[in-house]
Amino acid sequence: MGARELFKIAWQGILSNKLRSSLTVLGIVIGIASVITLMGIGEGAKKEAEKQVQSLGVNLIYVRPGAASNASISQGQGTAPTLTYEDAKAIKETCPSVDEVAAQYNSAFQVQQGEYNTSTTVLGTDPAYPEVRNFHPARGRFFNADDMKECRRVCTIGDTVREDLFPDESPVGKQILIRGELFQVIGVMEKKGANQMTDMDDQIFIPITTGYSTLFGLNTVTGQAVKMVLARAKDGQDLQAQFQITNLLRLRHGVKTPDQDDFQIRTQMDIMQTAQSITGVFSLLLGATAGISLVVGGIGIMNIMLVSVTERTREIGIRKAIGAKFGDILWQFVLEAIILSLTGGLLGITLGMIGSDWIGRFAKWTCIVTPFSIILAFAVSLAIGLFFGIYPARKAALLDPIVALRTE
Amino acid sequence: MVENVVELSAINRVYEMGEEPLYALKDLTLSIENGDYVAIMGQSGSGKSTLMNLIGCLDRPTSGRYILNHKDVFELTDDELASIRNTTIGFVFQQFNLLSSMTAIENVMLPLVYAGVEKEQRIMRAQFALQQVGLDQRRYHRPTQLSGGQQQRVSIARAIVNKPRILLADEPTGALDSHTATEIMALFDELVEQGITVILVTHDGEVANRASRIVRMRDGQITSDSRIRSQKNTPA
Ligand SMILES: Nc1ncnc2c1ncn2[C@@H]1O[C@H](COP(=O)(O)OP(=O)(O)OP(=O)(O)O)[C@@H](O)[C@H]1O
Ligand SMILES: [Mg+2]
Repeated sequence: MGARELFKIAWQGILSNKLRSSLTVLGIVIGIASVITLMGIGEGAKKEAEKQVQSLGVNLIYVRPGAASNASISQGQGTAPTLTYEDAKAIKETCPSVDEVAAQYNSAFQVQQGEYNTSTTVLGTDPAYPEVRNFHPARGRFFNADDMKECRRVCTIGDTVREDLFPDESPVGKQILIRGELFQVIGVMEKKGANQMTDMDDQIFIPITTGYSTLFGLNTVTGQAVKMVLARAKDGQDLQAQFQITNLLRLRHGVKTPDQDDFQIRTQMDIMQTAQSITGVFSLLLGATAGISLVVGGIGIMNIMLVSVTERTREIGIRKAIGAKFGDILWQFVLEAIILSLTGGLLGITLGMIGSDWIGRFAKWTCIVTPFSIILAFAVSLAIGLFFGIYPARKAALLDPIVALRTE
Repeated sequence: MVENVVELSAINRVYEMGEEPLYALKDLTLSIENGDYVAIMGQSGSGKSTLMNLIGCLDRPTSGRYILNHKDVFELTDDELASIRNTTIGFVFQQFNLLSSMTAIENVMLPLVYAGVEKEQRIMRAQFALQQVGLDQRRYHRPTQLSGGQQQRVSIARAIVNKPRILLADEPTGALDSHTATEIMALFDELVEQGITVILVTHDGEVANRASRIVRMRDGQITSDSRIRSQKNTPA
């Protein structure tokens, strides 16, 4: 028997009970549409995360104290810091693939201006910071090398801090008290928003040298600790830079084997990968949720097909009595299931794309429907038809012709 | 000497119901010649339908030997039996058994669909079969739009459309009034004249008297077997 004939018979079966067929299709439509939409949301989250990581600055290498294996090395008093400002300077001076370095030391302090006060993070860093972070002052200026050299008490404040301390006047040129120490505001940073870890706008930036001499109160004998060194590699030299920094620090710290490293190096690439794997899990969860509704839809198909086989037992008996073979009956019902699920799949894909578009427009969430998710949805709906259709179809095909004929 | 199309020997058909097995057919032996016209009679429950289902390859015997058209049915697979039902045998049921979602001509074409006949051929042959039963004016009617006698004609057209050697009819006139029944019987006469072997089950003596041979059954066995006239037609 030709495929066309089988298809026609299956199609007649579907048309013979239109309402039931439509309801079955609806189950699949909802399942597939939610798969498409939720995967789109997941994909959107991934792109969003990538964008954020990218916005931290490109070609960045992060050096932190502490061993990777030895999670928390004590930074308490009496212990020599494992990463110092001297290390940062050495990186800048000796690593040829590094073009800018910004060391960071941060701590939270109470800050005051007139009647206003707030608690915020004070970040001591180098003048190269805006360049390295791709984060610039919107008004006034960032501190410069002279401010550094002379340990001037100047600061550039983040936008949130400006809102807290200077709600209705321009801060540039004004003075503020950081833990009782007087600092002059020389600039306000542009608004940057929060990245994964910190609110970039809720910070005050001061020369790190000033920090050491006033606020951070670190013992200069054991070296001036830094919490992080940000190094920017020259274009396309990330790996070399990473390599050079590692070697330099091992040499300076007298580290003999890699497992004794007392510092950690991470590149932008690593962070990107972490972010991607996190959002990947997110996507997977969303996909799994949608998958459940698909399974429910599939069971709906099986249920309907079983009812249909029972209802049409006599028809099956008649077909067998006049010469339908096992395969003819099997294919009739399998094809019915496949047609139902594929119709549901195609409608679901369309609905899912419309839904994603709406979410993108009204919920302001990037929702990206990839060709992959469309192909997946299509394949899944085909598989559902096959998988959930085959059992009822086999049941029908195995019916004994006289038993089937006797059924009312 | 005419060859046998059906040769049943020592056939048992046993239903396992409760403790005692029920012999619907018991040690039954029967041969039917090619082109013959046989009426099977007997009380209700005597095993007539069971016998017809076996001859029609809708069912298999519990034991015994069945040679149909020189083939040992016992050795055939389910799909091969389906193929025999499609090409060698035509079945006419008391309850017509037409598919209600299809028109008359679609019902008649259905065996040809399963036989893999091309569409144009199918239509031509189905129209011819409908003509033979005198129903070509009603080819686009659905079964619900036809009278009982007309439905039975459609089902006869469906049974003969694939040119079977044997036509089996289990109480074909049981659901019809006597006038309509006579019309249907005239159709069977014609088919016999065309050389088809016709075997029918009936309770009606008048109907049975049109056949050439009458087989009577009781309790799954043949009690009498009489030829009332020589074969109307002796096929080559
Ligand atoms: N599927 C079955 N299971 C159990 N017993 C059955 C089955 N089919 C038939 N029988 C039994 O087999 C015997 C013969 O049944 P069959 O249908 O052949 O009778 P029949 O001669 O056609 O009767 P009727 O004239 O009423 O149609 C009956 O006793 C019946 O109860
Ligand atoms: Mg009967």
